[in-house]
Amino acid sequence: MVSSEQPVPTTIAAENLSKSFSGRPLFSDLSFSASQGLVAVAGRNGSGKTTLLKILAGLLRPSSGRVRFETEAGAPDSPSGRRLAIGWAGPDLQLYGTLTGVENLRFFRRAAGRAGDDRELEGRLEAVGLGEAARRRVEEYSTGMKQRLRIAFATLFDPPALLLDEPMAGLDVDGREIVRRVVAAARERGPVLLASNDERDFERPDRRVDLPGTGPRA
Amino acid sequence: MSALSGAWAVCVKDATEELRRKVAIVSVFFFAATAVTLVSFAMVGALALPPADRPPLQAALLWIILFFAAATGLPRAFVAEEESGTGLALRKTIPAVVVLAGKTLFNFLLFLAMAAVTIPGFLILLDWKAGSAGAVAATLLAGGFGLAVVSTFLSALVARAGQRHVLFVLIAFPLLLPLLQAAIAATIEAAAGAFPSAPLKVLVAYDGAAACGAYMLAGVAWED
Amino acid sequence: MKALKFLLLPYMAAVIAAAFLWPEPAQGFIGESSRIVFFHVPCAWTSTLAFLVAAAYSAAYLRTRNPWHDDVAAAAVRIGLLFGVLTLITGSLFANIMWGSWWNWDPRESSYLLLVFLYAAYLFLRSAVEDPDRRPRVAAAYALFAVVLMPFLTFVAPRITASLHPQTVINPQGKILMDTPTRAVFFGALAGFSGLFLWMLSIEARTRRLARTGPISRTGRTSP
Repeated sequence: MVSSEQPVPTTIAAENLSKSFSGRPLFSDLSFSASQGLVAVAGRNGSGKTTLLKILAGLLRPSSGRVRFETEAGAPDSPSGRRLAIGWAGPDLQLYGTLTGVENLRFFRRAAGRAGDDRELEGRLEAVGLGEAARRRVEEYSTGMKQRLRIAFATLFDPPALLLDEPMAGLDVDGREIVRRVVAAARERGPVLLASNDERDFERPDRRVDLPGTGPRA
Repeated sequence: MSALSGAWAVCVKDATEELRRKVAIVSVFFFAATAVTLVSFAMVGALALPPADRPPLQAALLWIILFFAAATGLPRAFVAEEESGTGLALRKTIPAVVVLAGKTLFNFLLFLAMAAVTIPGFLILLDWKAGSAGAVAATLLAGGFGLAVVSTFLSALVARAGQRHVLFVLIAFPLLLPLLQAAIAATIEAAAGAFPSAPLKVLVAYDGAAACGAYMLAGVAWED
Repeated sequence: MKALKFLLLPYMAAVIAAAFLWPEPAQGFIGESSRIVFFHVPCAWTSTLAFLVAAAYSAAYLRTRNPWHDDVAAAAVRIGLLFGVLTLITGSLFANIMWGSWWNWDPRESSYLLLVFLYAAYLFLRSAVEDPDRRPRVAAAYALFAVVLMPFLTFVAPRITASLHPQTVINPQGKILMDTPTRAVFFGALAGFSGLFLWMLSIEARTRRLARTGPISRTGRTSP
């Protein structure tokens, strides 16, 4: 398959995105485009960082506007195509407590129609520092361990685009280093959108998206 | 096909969780056992209904018990995902149709497990005569499948609503009544030893329609 | 629509008067009871029409996400509930005169009872979904799923079993077995009730839209 065109870089773009909940607007007419590199998504509490990332991940519908997504493979855009090509992790991501770390990852692989080789999955858990806990039930994990598992979930399908909402929350020094490594590797491949309240989480961002917001209601 | 293996993975996951936590299984079995015991006490013990009058009542009671046991246990498939917060991870990774198919399969197996407890109860405690075992089995399979499809679909709808338990029974009842009527008619015939072809045809047609409807509306029911 | 409501009053008055004064009571019925056909059948027809309108607008909402379509669908169900209850009441009055009992579990009767349950379930479902952004989708999913299963309720069941219900207008011979005055009043009533339905639908749907967008809407809560 030889193409004479330039390969299209993986791009995730917001086009005039607006979101309101029960008539109360959160943000409106938001537009930006992100290809390879790190995008810092900043804003006060309640400004809509989590909601924006969920919309880009396909978990929420915008009130108006749309999300555009293109991959290098030039495959046509579709919900099923986006599902595995965009990795996402956020504070309300919960995994199955009665299953072990490995069982969780294996389940998501198989349910998505892909093969689940346990050794490879254990390797991924090692990479986020959960090597020993891989065969323990997630309900026994500490907050930090659960956060590391979230990172493993987000990167499970080696997605070209990565959306991370408060990825450092609850992590110790080692955990934060793991996230930094994941972000550094991912930003070479495609867009990484990182939302955080803490400016220190943004390491040399290529772009910024600042959500205006009005902060928590008085 | 990856969609089928995906659905099977969902079913296996639900079964694994259920075997480890045992919430649905226990409540369903407890309900079925209690109901059968009480009914048997009333019909055979207290009322001493003559055997000739029992078959229609037994058939109706069987499906009433199965319906309410299902209403107790089957909605957990989606409700548990929302309560534990895992619904988000599921929605992120797997298409709604695959999730629905997998959970329907799990609920169908749960139903069969329920029937496996209830039928012997009927045979022993209610002195039920199951004339044609093959016909009874066919009725349970056809009726159970329809029950599983409709219950699973509706539980996807109610999973994120309030007053879930009452709500589920209320919205399930009108839709399931044709299935229950046909299943009861089929059970009466099967218990008498005949093959209930007419009601079974209705059941199979209903199952097909319900499956098509659930397939087409899966995305609306489960995603945002 | 403005013209319609002014015409409707004198028209319906004329229809009602004619129903009691013009045609002779039909053969085979006790006393004047056959006159119920001028009220009972149009109510049944309107109730079914409401259901079809609700289903069509639910499908339209899913395609367009236009909240007005949801307003119309919900309004149609509410009015359908009203006319469904009226159908049951008029049918019950008739049953009492003809056969001496208010309810007979006749398949046709039961199918309308079920339709009424279905409407009530739809409205209850709406009120149980707290998120006003999700409510229309959940309601639409239920309405369309019900449409898929409805044939079993309204057509299959009544036709399989024998019925006490008098020959319907749509009968196997394909002919309308009514004399001219009866036919005139009957179709006149049908048209009148349909007009009434459209008018009530318009009011109810517009009220919902106002509740959703008008000054009251700041609470975010609309009636189910």
